[in-house]
Amino acid sequence: MIYSSELLKGTLKTIVLKLLADNKKMYGYEITQRVKELTLDKIQITEGALYPTLHSLEADGLVTTETEFIGKRVRKYYSLSPTGKTKTKEKVSELADFMETMKFLLDIKPKTA
Amino acid sequence: MYQLNDQQIDYIFNDISARGVEMESLQLNLHDHVCCIIEQNLEENGDFESFYQKTIQTFYKDALWEIEEETLQLLTNKNYYKMKKIMIYSGTLSVAGFIAGSIFKIMHWPGASAILLLSMLNISLIFLPLLFILKTREVSAMKDKLMIAIGTIFGILFSISSLFKIFHWPGANLMWLSALGILMFVFIPIYFFSGIRTPETKVNTIITSIILISAGGMLFTLTSLKPSTKFYIGKTYNYLQGEELITRMHSIKNDTTNQNPEMINLSKEIIENCNKIKELIIIDGTGIKSIPKDFETKDIILQESGLGKEFDLGASGMELIQKLKKQINLYNTLVNRNKQLPIDNSIERMEKMELIRLSNYNLLNSLTDIQLFILQNEKGLTLN
Repeated sequence: MIYSSELLKGTLKTIVLKLLADNKKMYGYEITQRVKELTLDKIQITEGALYPTLHSLEADGLVTTETEFIGKRVRKYYSLSPTGKTKTKEKVSELADFMETMKFLLDIKPKTA
Repeated sequence: MYQLNDQQIDYIFNDISARGVEMESLQLNLHDHVCCIIEQNLEENGDFESFYQKTIQTFYKDALWEIEEETLQLLTNKNYYKMKKIMIYSGTLSVAGFIAGSIFKIMHWPGASAILLLSMLNISLIFLPLLFILKTREVSAMKDKLMIAIGTIFGILFSISSLFKIFHWPGANLMWLSALGILMFVFIPIYFFSGIRTPETKVNTIITSIILISAGGMLFTLTSLKPSTKFYIGKTYNYLQGEELITRMHSIKNDTTNQNPEMINLSKEIIENCNKIKELIIIDGTGIKSIPKDFETKDIILQESGLGKEFDLGASGMELIQKLKKQINLYNTLVNRNKQLPIDNSIERMEKMELIRLSNYNLLNSLTDIQLFILQNEKGLTLN
């Protein structure tokens, strides 16, 4: 099952920030591949969603970029800024809290073995 | 694993910009991304061209530039909140400035004009343009955008013309009338006829239109309530006649029988002082030092108004008046009773608060009277 883009929309920033927190610096393609890997293909970030989000994070000062030349190509690496690091913690705990609330709201019983 | 050659890399880059992506950083991102996908997924002897086309199509629904649009949307939304904040701050600041400036102006405290000027500039150059940008974004119909544009132009013209009026800059009346004209004949009709068509806004539109029309009408009335220029032409002639009388009196020979040099000197000083004060008043009203005889053809008309900022406490005009008061008192101690300058003229009573109630013509006439009284004494035209 692949989750709908609507579901992903509100969490994409958090996902990207958390990945950057765990991996120091990443480029766009790497981010999409890593998410795919980690979620066993359940979450596939589209280019159309990823890059606007990265640009907006950059404009917010949460991430910084550095460019690297690979032959004729230019690769932009993204990494967290100091404010980005604190923001990531906030965002992750906010999302965790949100998921708890959703569980309660939608009355989802945790699967117990 | 496929190895892209330089030509293919250039091809991809050119294709991305040809598809309408203009932001450089986004171009670079997408370029690297496509290259990675191709290198990872295309077999070594695969068909580059068709694989590339297939890949790039997975990036979007209708066109590649959607990504750029989405990016810009996200970036400008951030500005949206910033702009909204600035708008609210500048609006609050102008309102506070208007209130403070008005109080300062009434009390004749220094700085009133500066506060009013800043508030007026703030509202017309920061608040209203921001309001326009933010409001146009909320509506989609061209008609609504046009209405907001006209409303903004009216607002800016209105506040700038008020500013011009306060500072007696030329062109104020024209601007004021065109602002009102835009309101009455362009804005209200468009607003009325576009709002009345939809049932849910019908009642609101009618009520708001009535309020707007009556407000506009009142402003029109205020404009025409001011005395006509003819009235001021008459007053200006009166003033010039007084000046002419003074000039003619000067040409009469002095009475040399009982004049001491101290008196002659003091008389001269008072007359000069009066002329200086008159000059300040006329500069404030017309921008030039004296009114020429052909003022009517040159369209230099002194309108009746309050005394300018030169007569605020501590300003040069006020200092000249205080000096004049001392001179008059000294003069009256030196001459016979029947030659004394009338105590009850407005100069003598001029304290700060008295000055506020005087118009420029009041003061000009009082000064002319003093000059004439002195000349009368000097020429021996007063009965001993």
